[in-house]
Amino acid sequence: MTAKQERVVAHSVVPIDFTYNYRVGTYLEKYIQGLGQKKILGMKCSGCGKVVVPPRKICGMCNLTMEEWVELADVGTVENYTVGHVRVDKGLLEKSDPPVMLALIKLDGADALLAGEVRGLKPEELKNGLRVKAVWKDPAEDSLADLDHFEPAGKGG
Amino acid sequence: MEKQVAVVAQAQTRHAADIGMPKERMLFELVKGLFDDLGITRDDIGTFVICSNDFQAGRTISNVFEDTPIGAYMKDETKVEADGLWAAMYAAMRIMSGNYDTALVVANSLGGSEFRPYLVMDYQLNPTYDRQLGLLNELSTAALQARSYMDRYGMTETQMDRIAAKLLRNAARNPYALQSKADATPEDIAASEYLYEPLRKLHCYPFTDGACAVLLASADRAKELTDSPVWIKGMSSSIDSYYLGERELFGSRSSRLAAERAYKMAGIKQPADQIDVAEVSAPFVHQEPIITEALGLFPEGSGGSVAERGLSEIDGAMPVCPSGGATGAHPFSAAGLIRIAECYRQLTGQAGEAQVADASTAVAHGQDGFCAQHNAVMVLSSEEG
Repeated sequence: MTAKQERVVAHSVVPIDFTYNYRVGTYLEKYIQGLGQKKILGMKCSGCGKVVVPPRKICGMCNLTMEEWVELADVGTVENYTVGHVRVDKGLLEKSDPPVMLALIKLDGADALLAGEVRGLKPEELKNGLRVKAVWKDPAEDSLADLDHFEPAGKGG
Repeated sequence: MEKQVAVVAQAQTRHAADIGMPKERMLFELVKGLFDDLGITRDDIGTFVICSNDFQAGRTISNVFEDTPIGAYMKDETKVEADGLWAAMYAAMRIMSGNYDTALVVANSLGGSEFRPYLVMDYQLNPTYDRQLGLLNELSTAALQARSYMDRYGMTETQMDRIAAKLLRNAARNPYALQSKADATPEDIAASEYLYEPLRKLHCYPFTDGACAVLLASADRAKELTDSPVWIKGMSSSIDSYYLGERELFGSRSSRLAAERAYKMAGIKQPADQIDVAEVSAPFVHQEPIITEALGLFPEGSGGSVAERGLSEIDGAMPVCPSGGATGAHPFSAAGLIRIAECYRQLTGQAGEAQVADASTAVAHGQDGFCAQHNAVMVLSSEEG
């Protein structure tokens, strides 16, 4: 008999660290460059006439390539929203205090809704129909993060 | 369908937050049990179709350690991702090709103990845009979908709580379920914490380890293997836009189109009258009305009143998820195959306390993607022909 206790080895924790180098594509590249100049660009489909944002090349419904760039307002209307009391960090839930406010926003001139974080109001004030405007990162980083968040547009929005 | 294919057997694990054994043993015991019950061996299986997922398994070619425990070693074998309902469709087609008389479909994942389901779902996000922004995840998108339906059709949070409570009660009648409560009330659901409003913890699926196996056979072989085959009458799948901002989240166009095609194959003209029981994949309970309405089982936007009136209860006019559905257990990949397995149990009178009286025709639904982007529908019946 050995005094040594038998060790239980039930699990093997194996992290995976993959790094991918995705090509952004010319459409999203132009969109990101636009954000750096405080412009939000969308694409208009010549088939259905719908304006989508963020821009992409192919309209799934029409099976056409979209080629007409449209500059959208940086002001829009909240069409759907959720108040998050948690965050998902690497798949794990963490409490979010204060809660995070996420909205689907119809920018003036667009048909598709853009997801954005809304700040500058209480969670219970976030409602459909609320007019919001983009708040830009200054100085610009030439990244998606240049469109930092949205806040209530206030009077005249 | 021109060439008949039947479900002749099903097996499931007792789904768990931690199944307590390696995947290989789980699969071996599951499939060996099914073989022993039928008195067959792996030699009786013509083709094997696995549904598992590389991201869920944490290794490429996720089936590489799955084919041996299920008996597929050196046999005709292939793998499908997305969800087990697609694997079953593929397996049925392999039988319809005339090359095989039997097909074993096996689907599994260990989302309770091995991987993080929300992280795997994050890897479905567009990598150059949504994944960079970090706003969308499985929960926040589901919450937006719930809000979209509730705003459009006036379903209240309490009515949504009723759906969740029904599912927890049904799950208490399902020996395979992981999460259940025999006397669950809407108040129990409302007492769970908000994650992303309006979704509370008990509106969302539990992280689950589990597996399911379903054996399909040609008409002649099916009658040799069982006295009560369940016939596949129609099947189809369809995919909606990835972009949430372009979808009408309050409905499910792709479910509707898949159902229309499956019903046409099955000769179903009035689904609400002709279907006796439905098993739909709704990992978030608000998806139950969205999907069952797209499947033509209830009028558009009626989710709130259906819940109030108990129409989708086991003894209701159109029972939905007598198994407890995804609220009872939701192993990724296996989820849609479990829906078929549960329809099989219903149509063969094996559903025990969850049995729907006189059920002869059922619809099973599977999904994948954010807010049920990708949907598959299968119509099953105990009546041949």
